[in-house]
Amino acid sequence: MDLFLQLLVNGFINGSNYALLGIGFGLIFSTTGIVHFAYGSVYTFAAYVAWFLATSFGLALLPSMAGAIVAAVLLGVACYTLLYRPLELRRAPPLIPLIASLGLNIMLENLNAIIFGSGVRSANFASEVYFAGPVFFTSVHIWQVVSCIAVVAALVVFLRKTRYGRAILAMTDDPNMARVVGIDTKKVSYIVFALGSAISAVAATLTLMKDGASTHMGFIAVFMGFVAVIVGGVGSLRGVIAGGFLLGIVESLGLWKISTEWQSSIAFIVLFIMIMLRPQGLFSIARR
Amino acid sequence: MEYIYHIAVLFCLYGILTISFNLLVGFTGMFALSHAALYAIGAYTTAILATDFGIPFPLDMIASVLVAAVISAVIALPALRVTGHYLVIVSLALQIIVLQVILNWKSLTRGSDGISGVPSYNAFGFAITSPDRFLIVALIALAACYWFTHRLVRSPFGRGLRAMRENESAAQAVGLNILYMKLSTFAISAALAAVAGSLFARYFRYVGVDSFTINETIYVLAMVILGGMGNLRGSLVGAAILVALPELLKFVPLPVDIADKIRLILYGLVLMLILLVRPQGLLPEPRGRKAMLVSVEDESGPSDAGKLLDGEGGRQGGVVLQGSNLRKQFSGVTAIKDFSIALKRGQITGLLGPNGAGKTTAFNLLTGFLKPTDGVITLNGRSIADRKPHELVSAGVARSFQDLRLFTNMTVIENVIVALPDQSGRRWPNLFLHPARIRAEERANAARAMEILRFVELENKAHETAADLSYAEEKLLVVARLLATGAEVLLFDEPMSGLDQTTLADIFPVLRRLAEHGKVVCIIEHNLDVIKELCDEVYFLDEGRTMAVGTPDALMNDPELAERYFK
Repeated sequence: MDLFLQLLVNGFINGSNYALLGIGFGLIFSTTGIVHFAYGSVYTFAAYVAWFLATSFGLALLPSMAGAIVAAVLLGVACYTLLYRPLELRRAPPLIPLIASLGLNIMLENLNAIIFGSGVRSANFASEVYFAGPVFFTSVHIWQVVSCIAVVAALVVFLRKTRYGRAILAMTDDPNMARVVGIDTKKVSYIVFALGSAISAVAATLTLMKDGASTHMGFIAVFMGFVAVIVGGVGSLRGVIAGGFLLGIVESLGLWKISTEWQSSIAFIVLFIMIMLRPQGLFSIARR
Repeated sequence: MEYIYHIAVLFCLYGILTISFNLLVGFTGMFALSHAALYAIGAYTTAILATDFGIPFPLDMIASVLVAAVISAVIALPALRVTGHYLVIVSLALQIIVLQVILNWKSLTRGSDGISGVPSYNAFGFAITSPDRFLIVALIALAACYWFTHRLVRSPFGRGLRAMRENESAAQAVGLNILYMKLSTFAISAALAAVAGSLFARYFRYVGVDSFTINETIYVLAMVILGGMGNLRGSLVGAAILVALPELLKFVPLPVDIADKIRLILYGLVLMLILLVRPQGLLPEPRGRKAMLVSVEDESGPSDAGKLLDGEGGRQGGVVLQGSNLRKQFSGVTAIKDFSIALKRGQITGLLGPNGAGKTTAFNLLTGFLKPTDGVITLNGRSIADRKPHELVSAGVARSFQDLRLFTNMTVIENVIVALPDQSGRRWPNLFLHPARIRAEERANAARAMEILRFVELENKAHETAADLSYAEEKLLVVARLLATGAEVLLFDEPMSGLDQTTLADIFPVLRRLAEHGKVVCIIEHNLDVIKELCDEVYFLDEGRTMAVGTPDALMNDPELAERYFK
């Protein structure tokens, strides 16, 4: 029973991380329709920048995270400006940006490796261990859950209350209609790339604190984000949060019965079942 | 010299992979990123059989091919329910799962150690260990794979793939079996990748998971894109360039690990640049006359297309297709509440009603594109409830679409040929078992297609790309393509909308002639003049119900219907 509780808590904590990744990735995907695989490299880059700031300048967690956010936003917006935007202007069919993003990802991933070196880089942010009955968790776990809640709350306010937030929702709903009613879709695209990248940097800094930064951390991150979006339902914030937590909890509870080396397959089984039974995801805004 | 041979062997392996991936991605438009996993399955099968069981060539390769094809077909079944981005994510997940199984099934695959000491090929007592000897084997394999794939894509089967890539529902509506084509392509593509995998195991004499990561799929993808999607020769060019290019880095003094990363950066750059600068690739897919499979001379040959334009015979006025008390419910919304219709031989039946009345849904039910929630549909008295659209086409029920759904990148005549019935070349094994029969059929079909085009007076446009036609010509081509199916029951979804009087005057006699020849014709139409001019009987549909049935005059004089129609 204690083990079960511990796994449940672990799953919840991992789930908040997946939800965060899914929110950032899904914001870009559902608004612009771009499957931004290089989101993984932006995330990796952010983790390395946070590591660099923390180890070279001795910055604490939050300032390092702030630096990582700035770096990620710059790189994310650059991805859109230099690659996706020109493809959009050329009216490339939807799979073309996806293929291009695979190329961009492999390029950025290896640039990251050349700049920051391969091997795990870790930063020593202050961290403590807490116990709640038989369950233990650490500072980074609390940070992960808290930042997930904070990001979601801020995003909800932004989407509902501000002009650009509502423009994002409109574009998610129907990009052509959004254009017709006079929404500047180019500007909105820049905003979602900036926001999505910023959110990835939050997740990246906390992963750095938990496991360290490494060259290949981005691929699995973007992949879990993508899976959370698909499981939750494209274009639904509630959906991607539910999808992220579902993945984290199922993956963690799976360890109860299944040995650890299969852990990452568990998430994909969830994906398969979901696509077979409910391809529109848990929550869907698709009206067709 | 040894080194050059080694590069040439690598080119052969990547050439095979690129061809097989192009078949899937370029020709069929199915974007599955699990190619490296299938390559791995091919390599591991050979490595295990040859190392642990001493199975000799060619049994090891045959086993690799079969295992990969079967696994691919099995995993394709669920994956085929999804398209686009969903297929991408599902196939990526498969890639990761396959590698994880290989890593964890240690008793069979030796986990992360990999399998070393795979025996090399042996020919007449010579061990084929050096690259120069192996190159001969690899070249033969590449040539065989190229020949096989070339045959496959330049055939009625390949034409079907292109049609399916352009519009899946239209491909079904001309009688193509989508599931068969997708499964076949998945299996064949995997089989070819497994040939490369089998060679890999025998050449390097070692297999380990590191050689089959997702990056491998991306290299091959870069080769396909660089060479040109849908162009086999392009794939060879793409593979040659991207195998050779990174080798130039060897002449630059760099630390090994940096050089390796620069190679990957190079692949990424090439992929992005080509998409930005020349998305069609170095050798674009052939279009228009160049893409055609039939030669122009054959088109003037004698043709029996007249048969396709005739009905089956039988009593004029007899009921052929009947739907009784049909109901269709989509989660919550009932699009069709109670709809009954009887289509009769030699008659033109009109389906009239305001927008949203359920007319197109009714067509979808009658042609198998949707299954009715309730009710019975019979063709010549037999129930056709469980038939798929393509089966109904060969049984004699075909339809057109309101939004045309032409195969716009194919030529006009190919749009017609792809719809002709009884093509044995649609089943790919026949391409290799009965090549002469297929050639003869193709010749005959070219002539039949030409005659159908003459029937709708499009023969002068036969070799233009369908995208270049005027709107009226597109509409005629829709009619021609529907006629080409040879179906007895023809359902036209708004064939006349948007046409001017002169073109209408062209189409009227066509439809009337079909009815006179014993076909069963049903049209959805908004133009009351057209209905009056053309139809023998009209069904008035509103709110998902048949409101009235009768002659055009009787219905149009009914004030209640007029009010419904014009409300």
